[in-house]
Amino acid sequence: MARVILRRFFKHKLAGIAIAVLALLILASAFAFTTPYSPTNQEPTNSFQKSNADHWFGTDELGRDVFTRILYGGRVSLTVGLFSTFLSIALGVLVGALSGYFGGWIDSVLMRITDAFLTFPTIFVLIILGAFLREQQVPWLKNSVLIVIIIIAALSWMWPARLVRGLFLVLREREFVTASRALGGSSARIIIQHILPNCIGPIVVSGTLQMASAIITESGLSYLGFGVQPPTPTWGSILATAQNQVFRAPWIAFYPGLMIFITVMAINYIGDGLRDAFDPYVVHAEK
Amino acid sequence: MTTYAIRRILQTIPILFIISILLFFLVRSAPGGPLTSARRNPNVTKEQIEAIEEKLGLNDPLPVQYGRWIGDMLKGNLGQSIKFHRPVNDMIAERIPNTLTLVGASFLLTLIVAIPIGMLSARKPYSVFDYAMTTVTFIGQSIPVYWLGLGLIVIFYVLLKNPVTDVPFFPVGGMNTRGKEGDPLDTLWHLVLPVTALSLGWIAWYSRFLRSSMMDVLHEDYVRTAKAKGASSNSVYYKHALQNAILPLVTLIALDLPSLFAGALFVETIFSWPGMGRLFWDAAKGRDYPVLLGVVMITAVLIIFCNILADLAYGWLDPRVKYE
Amino acid sequence: MKLKFLTLFVVLGLVLSACGGGKAPATEAPQSTGEATVPATEAAISAGGGGTVTLIIPEEPTTLNYFMADAAIVRQAAEATAMTGLATINENGEYVATLAQELPTLDNSGLSADYLTVTWKLREGLKWSDGEAITSDDIKFTVEVLSNPDAGALSGTSGFDLITSVDTPDDLTAVLTYSEPYPGYLDQFAYGLFPRHATGEPADMTNWEWNRNPVGAGPFIVSNWASGESITMTRNPNYYEEGKPYLDSIVFAIVPEPAAQTAMMLNGEAQFQLWPGEFKADYDELLKGKATQHLIPGIWNMAIDFNLSAPFDGDATAATPHPILGDIRVRQAIASAIDYQTLQQDVLKGSVGDSTNPFAYGWYQCDLPRALGFDVEKANQLLDEAGWVMGDDGIRVAKDAMYAEDGTRLSLELQGYTAFDPLQLTEEFIVENLKAVGVEARIQNYDFSIIFGTFEDNSPRAVGDYDMLIFDRGFTTEPQGYNFDAYHSSRIPTAENPTGGNYFRWVNADVDAALELAGSSFDQQTRKDAYCEIGQAVIDDMPQVYMYLFQDNYGVADNLDGYILSTWGSMSWGAQNWKYK
Repeated sequence: MARVILRRFFKHKLAGIAIAVLALLILASAFAFTTPYSPTNQEPTNSFQKSNADHWFGTDELGRDVFTRILYGGRVSLTVGLFSTFLSIALGVLVGALSGYFGGWIDSVLMRITDAFLTFPTIFVLIILGAFLREQQVPWLKNSVLIVIIIIAALSWMWPARLVRGLFLVLREREFVTASRALGGSSARIIIQHILPNCIGPIVVSGTLQMASAIITESGLSYLGFGVQPPTPTWGSILATAQNQVFRAPWIAFYPGLMIFITVMAINYIGDGLRDAFDPYVVHAEK
Repeated sequence: MTTYAIRRILQTIPILFIISILLFFLVRSAPGGPLTSARRNPNVTKEQIEAIEEKLGLNDPLPVQYGRWIGDMLKGNLGQSIKFHRPVNDMIAERIPNTLTLVGASFLLTLIVAIPIGMLSARKPYSVFDYAMTTVTFIGQSIPVYWLGLGLIVIFYVLLKNPVTDVPFFPVGGMNTRGKEGDPLDTLWHLVLPVTALSLGWIAWYSRFLRSSMMDVLHEDYVRTAKAKGASSNSVYYKHALQNAILPLVTLIALDLPSLFAGALFVETIFSWPGMGRLFWDAAKGRDYPVLLGVVMITAVLIIFCNILADLAYGWLDPRVKYE
Repeated sequence: MKLKFLTLFVVLGLVLSACGGGKAPATEAPQSTGEATVPATEAAISAGGGGTVTLIIPEEPTTLNYFMADAAIVRQAAEATAMTGLATINENGEYVATLAQELPTLDNSGLSADYLTVTWKLREGLKWSDGEAITSDDIKFTVEVLSNPDAGALSGTSGFDLITSVDTPDDLTAVLTYSEPYPGYLDQFAYGLFPRHATGEPADMTNWEWNRNPVGAGPFIVSNWASGESITMTRNPNYYEEGKPYLDSIVFAIVPEPAAQTAMMLNGEAQFQLWPGEFKADYDELLKGKATQHLIPGIWNMAIDFNLSAPFDGDATAATPHPILGDIRVRQAIASAIDYQTLQQDVLKGSVGDSTNPFAYGWYQCDLPRALGFDVEKANQLLDEAGWVMGDDGIRVAKDAMYAEDGTRLSLELQGYTAFDPLQLTEEFIVENLKAVGVEARIQNYDFSIIFGTFEDNSPRAVGDYDMLIFDRGFTTEPQGYNFDAYHSSRIPTAENPTGGNYFRWVNADVDAALELAGSSFDQQTRKDAYCEIGQAVIDDMPQVYMYLFQDNYGVADNLDGYILSTWGSMSWGAQNWKYK
């Protein structure tokens, strides 16, 4: 089965290319130390250089090499983007699937909890969490990528949850579900094997969106005291600080934006490939 | 379905009550207070700050303060702003029309643009049109809205100008040219850039979503059956597939609808639009508790009602969906 | 079913367009003048008399009553309408008479020899903006309001509780009696008067309608306040200076986004910009021929605070010394590792001035040299002597240090507040400076509310849980309150004394004595000497290192004339003198 899915996946050419691009981005940030510059080393007299042979992406307001900072920035941003999205979608799908499939009191309880989460003003949850973490004085709790991932997932799972619930409400009444229920299929089996594959498309779309926003949200978190503190670069923080250079050096914002674009695009095509791989009916002739 | 609707609405009463408690304590347990900025003001002494805190009752036990707040709120009074010394009801009432204008226009534009794009992309997936739309919508997703806003200002306000009059094509500051307050055409002109900035992300999201659920539906048995029975391709597409694909979109709309009132902070900030998003943000930064709680509570009510509406819309649009 | 979808979208569309189209004009003018119907760019040139100036402010003032101001933004707008009082402080920091005929002094017997009686005489024929006469009874009323503890005033009330009586022998004369000599008797009346007839009960001040639409003696009158958008003010026909103000109206436009502000200046839609985000050199180049950025000495003084007491030991007092910073040689090494020149000139592009101690401006200014300038060799030598040897990873490690256990890394947290660019640039620069001498500084920025929070909020500086804290602080013409709170040993914040402001936990008996002297003396020179002694002690003992003094920056359109920028005033100070070239 796994092999079939894998073969179907790679039949989707763009998905294969997307995997390669993503791998390249990950490798590039892992080997960021190979550039001749340090991401924090400054040369204030050499600030705001445009793209040139020494500094491929130019330099920022402190004269640091933007290319190097983008590579290093990828470490945090890709980790946060990929894992927080995965976590948020997994949680959302779990809640949404249970809620939509079983209905009744399970649905009521889960959805009221979801509603409550949706109504909380994010900024206050974050400020309180920040103050709380500060008081704990556990060093690994601060600036930890893991914390950032958990926070972003905790604040974003409600959207996929409501979405998946909606899909399940419709799909659970379809013939193929009632049929397998009549044949004595277990709930878990029906959910995982029959209904879920039919939801992959919308789930992936919501995943690509969350990924882009997670990368940007990360920079917002550092404003509130967690997240990654300066001078460590992330794509989100490079974008955020470049905001003040909109007249002076607009190009500084271009590169992190481009990186986010490429990542989101790659994830989406991987998602397309996944859908084809899971969907037994895909007619490849369409392409 | 009517019983279901009534049950859901009755359920909201205790839920809103619980949410009000949670929100109150959440907001009040954040560090800082309405007078934090005054502590940084060299003209203000610490004694004055304490006297004012005492006068405002900010030192009373929190449950007492909650009781006061919820009591007033049940009477329809959201209290008095600590910073502006004005009734919160008035402050919110001033902002709601502005926000409805901005977010409503963006929402409308989004639906008008996104639904055709999503449908056409799914109709001919992997076509040139599809790839072009995919690229454009991903750019839309990857640009943070504040960057989009800044970009629009630089291009349409600073760089591009009417060559004859040297007047920029679109304005950036506020809702009206001074002296033209209340002129709908002038407001429309001021709306162009902020609405563009706000809609692009939504269009990307909605059209991608519709494309994807259309493609899922197209592979389903009943669509295939209809095709096999010789139904014309267009009829299959628009009659069967679209109807089913649009259902999940209702959830999305329901999730985004509350922002009609909650506003859009980034766009309002960049384009100096006096909407609810900025009211909330300023109140949050300044810990103007009555304003903050008023806005948050109204938003909470809307979120819950929109979700009920979405659930009801499901049953109405697709009779197969059952409520227990 | 198709019909249902159609209905859904039609209904949705109707709801949306109804909401959008039916927008009531949110801008109801309390007193519509109909004058401001000319677009800004044209108004700038036309309108015969003076035209309109648009001033950009980043946030909305909460009130136009200066005495209720919690933030600096209030004064920026209020000064144009309701803050013309008996005197004002000019650009040189001197008091000059405005509504008063002259300043009461010992020489003209306005101030009695025992300093207990002050006689103010109003000019003749003064009128409030609504046409009523300004009388000595309004001075009396102002004292009644500002001495009433229930009024809810925040700013500018100092000394009003010392006034025991106000006699008004005639309409122009007010005789104030003080219970004890009060050196700030001029300053009290430099921020405006309240008209008795157009306000309300003193105890009800916070609810006065006057606060948003004041009847004042200033050059302009509020004609329209569009919430969140703009405040429009028109010429006060009853302004006391003949022929002024020159302009017909001024508009305070609330524009939160810095790039949008600068863009408006670029297109000539605004003429005055408060605190532009760009450095002067960049700004002047971008707006060449249109506007120029002006820098004037400000009061915000940037320093690194050191915690002299051990952090995170559950003890807020100064009892246990800080394991690393408790040794003065480490603090000195940090001070000499910072490249002040590059920081001020290249990183901050010359937008700041040098500063070595708290008293960097005003009558109490002390020009004291740094004890230790930028000297990497000296920094290394000090750290070697203090028992910190270079580790393998380039960060020093304790070996026979004064307080730290052997093996402790020389790693310190550097705290600051977020969303303020110059602060973050400074932090990032210092981190590199310190790395060069083997000191690791880890930036940890928090929200404003945490850094400047209270003891009860567990604010790090209040409870003493920090290593180094970087922020800017400032005080006004009367520095005693702030400095006593910041440097006196009795003001160390603890659970018993939670409001204290001596966050360094610095104990220095000489400083305590100097502070007490400065607080009791009436002689300005004696006071200044005492403050300079404190400034020198800060340099020698190093509870903090001063790095630079911010300058206030304003962007002003090149075709505007007659404006004077003052450290002691706000952006709209002197707006009666503005005119177009």
